Amino acid sequence: MIVVMKAGASEKQINTVVKRVELDGFATRLVQGTERTIVCVLGDGRPKEGRIYEVLDGVEKTTRVLRPFKLTSREMQPMDSTVPLNGVQVGEPEIAIIAGPCSVESREQLLETAHAVKEAGAIALRGGAFKPRSSPYSFQGMGEEGLKILAEAREQTGLPIVTEVMAPELVPLVGEYADVLQIGARNMQNYDLLKAVGKSECSVLLKRGLMSTIEELLMSAEYILSGGNKNVMLCERGIRTFEKYTRNTTDINAIPVLKDLTHIPVILDPSHGVGKWAYVAAVARAGIAAGADGLIVEVHPHPEEALSDGAQSLKPEKFAELVQQVRAIAASIGRN
Amino acid sequence: MIIVMRAGSKRDQIEDVVARVEEAGFTAHLSEGAERTIIGVIGDDRPIERQAFEVMEGVEKTVPILKPFKLASRDFNTANSTVSINGVEVGGNKIAIIAGPCSVESREQLLETAHAVKEAGAIALRGGAFKPRSSPYSFQGMGEEGLKILAEAREQTDLAVVTEVMTPEHIPLVNEYADVLQIGARNMQNYELLKAVGRNGPPVLLKRGLMATMEEFLMSAEYILSHGNRKVILCERGIRTFETYTRNTTDINAVPVLKSLTHLPVILDPSHAVGKWEFVTAIARAGIAAGADGLMVEVHPEPEKALSDGGQSLKPQKFADLVNQVRTIATAIGRD
Repeated sequence: MIVVMKAGASEKQINTVVKRVELDGFATRLVQGTERTIVCVLGDGRPKEGRIYEVLDGVEKTTRVLRPFKLTSREMQPMDSTVPLNGVQVGEPEIAIIAGPCSVESREQLLETAHAVKEAGAIALRGGAFKPRSSPYSFQGMGEEGLKILAEAREQTGLPIVTEVMAPELVPLVGEYADVLQIGARNMQNYDLLKAVGKSECSVLLKRGLMSTIEELLMSAEYILSGGNKNVMLCERGIRTFEKYTRNTTDINAIPVLKDLTHIPVILDPSHGVGKWAYVAAVARAGIAAGADGLIVEVHPHPEEALSDGAQSLKPEKFAELVQQVRAIAASIGRN
Repeated sequence: MIIVMRAGSKRDQIEDVVARVEEAGFTAHLSEGAERTIIGVIGDDRPIERQAFEVMEGVEKTVPILKPFKLASRDFNTANSTVSINGVEVGGNKIAIIAGPCSVESREQLLETAHAVKEAGAIALRGGAFKPRSSPYSFQGMGEEGLKILAEAREQTDLAVVTEVMTPEHIPLVNEYADVLQIGARNMQNYELLKAVGRNGPPVLLKRGLMATMEEFLMSAEYILSHGNRKVILCERGIRTFETYTRNTTDINAVPVLKSLTHLPVILDPSHAVGKWEFVTAIARAGIAAGADGLMVEVHPEPEKALSDGGQSLKPQKFADLVNQVRTIATAIGRD
């Protein structure tokens, strides 16, 4: 349930409402709009009686939030929320492009890629130091050594770092180096990890699970928001279907649907979404045309030598073309 | 296998090759390009003696087609093939928009819609007279009466008529009224129907089955092409996945993938693919951005009263908005 305060309600009136709600055993969260404040009432499934708050001074009305996700819901917050990333507010008209290799493989590989993607117009650098690989025998990432290389790339290029964290106990370590903590598709429902990043100071990029519904993705975002971290971005990265020609099936429907259901920014990973480099730019264009707030794209200077995801990685010059094409689409729908 | 003739090879050289192909028990399909002729050699799986053809006069080389679809393959025809509808070459640079109601429900409903979609920029009118409904108790279409109304709409608006044919014995009847025969998703693998429309003249709009892979889709197109009808347009209309918030999952990957595997025009049906009218425009934009050659959109003057697909039908003014947005995207990628 949300309690909508009247425009110009005083701080004292808001505090009275908050105290009253908490007295009833519910948690509260304030959403401060430009005109009015909304008090979100959070708790277990117990029915909440709206009328008892409607009689308080300064309250305009109460509204039940019917969706199972609350803080994530547009019902709770009609305005788009934004996540700051390197001077761009992700969620605003400017398209945010994050790019880099699947994995940090060496200092040379990462620095070369970082400079190239910066040159092409990326605003942040991706690169995995801890890698969730299907096989325990595959390259598992460089660990802290990889994080240090990422930090060096940031120093040289100014690009903030987006990198994956796979376990709650690694959140402090990865948080030391990263600007954005990525929760990978396979960990979308690792609830202890979600709770841990919910308490982190870093922004979070939450990827949709391979077999997760849109509602499950939003419930996972709810875990992070309810832990106190408001800087969450969602990432559609393709789902598993019967179609095997492509690695995944990019759920392009999810872009406008998520933008409708939630206020938090939504970006697309066309590299995993289609899984073959030749189609990545087309799917990236589609994502922006459908209303995505940004992209995360895999780029590698020598895809044929990549230790992971070589087949879906773009060479830097192909990535630069993608950025041009995507900017043209963005301009055509009134974004930039 | 395909036999590539030399640029400027003579007519009698081509005829000799065709005769040799037929002697060997295969069928020859000619593709006459601006510079050279390509002869598709189609038959069962028996090995073909390539050298026997390579020594013939006027033959440049032979190339095996490794894909199971041959005439539909880009190997057979590297240039885009186009299908003419109402003066527009679908598959060329111009985006073709087909629109209209799911079903023909009445003369008034159809004529009103026809004038509205024409005004907004559609080049053809869709409308089902024979309807494949999941339930035998649902409205099954107006039959021939509906076809007559479609023909009247064409007379009044000059829009071409695209309408579904569900069974081989109806082809002569539907043909009398239609400009384009639609094969619906549920009939994508109705092989007798495919052969029958393959033997008939008018262009065919082939929709992808709900659970059909891209390869199966192209094999169905191959049925039509191999029976002599070269005018085939493919239509992605969403596939069935675990996600049920939307009616189907738009396989946006299929747009660039099909464009690379086949020379046939590829269009998108965003209405079925997402199934909720408020998201149709975003998906339409995505389709064009991904490289689709056109769209097929459901439009109804009063969706709330529609006998089928009301939830995914746009009102005429929303459709006009869609056309404008799609044209802007088309311009951004150098199409019109």
